[in-house]
Amino acid sequence: MRNRLAVFPVTAVLLLLSLAASTYAHHGFVSWFDMSRSVTVKGTVTSFDWTNPHAYIYLDVKDDKGAIVKWSAELGAIAMLTRAGWKRDTLKPGDELTMTGNPAKDGKPVMHLDKIVLANGQELATAL
Amino acid sequence: MRNGLIFSAAAVTAMFALVPATRGQDASHAGSVPDISGVWLVEKFEPRLFPNGGAPLQPWAEMKFKATNPQTDDPNLGCLPLGVPRFMISVPYPMEIFQVPTRVIILHEGPQVMRQIYMNRQHPKDLDPTYSGDSIGKWEGDTLVVDTIGFNDKTWLDGDGLPHSEAMHLVERIRRVDHDTLADDLTIEDPMAYTKPITVQQVYKLKPGWEIQEYVCEENNKYNYQGK
Repeated sequence: MRNRLAVFPVTAVLLLLSLAASTYAHHGFVSWFDMSRSVTVKGTVTSFDWTNPHAYIYLDVKDDKGAIVKWSAELGAIAMLTRAGWKRDTLKPGDELTMTGNPAKDGKPVMHLDKIVLANGQELATAL
Repeated sequence: MRNGLIFSAAAVTAMFALVPATRGQDASHAGSVPDISGVWLVEKFEPRLFPNGGAPLQPWAEMKFKATNPQTDDPNLGCLPLGVPRFMISVPYPMEIFQVPTRVIILHEGPQVMRQIYMNRQHPKDLDPTYSGDSIGKWEGDTLVVDTIGFNDKTWLDGDGLPHSEAMHLVERIRRVDHDTLADDLTIEDPMAYTKPITVQQVYKLKPGWEIQEYVCEENNKYNYQGK
């Protein structure tokens, strides 16, 4: 049992890394985001842009000192998101969620989204 | 480009009306030629032709490549066409292939462009260079062999910024490997820019039930295209 527990986080990290590597998209992700790293933040949605060529999630995240850090996440094109189960009303301001993705290389609180987990436990992954 | 797309959609619709039997997503043949129609998506998305470096660049092309910054210089950031062959290789959005007797038509969702492969003529003389070039095709057994010339030099070969010249000559061998799989073996010859031909294979998977949707590059494009 202990061994299984010890192995699980490593497997999870490898899974995250493999997901990260599969989600480049057309607008220069390779150059803007560090595709070898994954970051997860939890916060409150302030805005959801259901737009092309990319959709965006804007999230207020409290840091260790309780200060608000304004994160944003870039998603795929809305046609691909729709095929992956997203809708224009999937998110609204005030929703709580956790989002995971590849952080910007320049250190800004911006990520290329891999997936979100909603407060009710529902997961949605971004498309390619 | 938008007007071009509207025209393209109308043209495709008109051709459907004339030749309804050529539409399908199964392996049965449309007339006497193989059926490669349907909606296809790249199996693996890799925006770079040489992820580990080593492109066989001529000296001037290498200088141009090294001076390129994909964060700011990619023509596609400003929504200019990806062009051929880039949109055949490294776009994570689906394309639909239509076949009519005189043409194979590829309607691409991501760049919202139409590529026409003419099956009944040779390349025109004195081609005006374009983003997609001039494509002519012929069937060799189960393989569609496509020859393309007449490119401008405004596009990149890949997301890293590999350049090319107007002398680029592209040969593709497109084949339905099985019902759900399409393979395009591309040979890029450009002796002005490369010391030897570049070969690459892209594999696509059939997406039954998918329809090509709208995609608007200019709508909420946050990338700061500076251009060169």
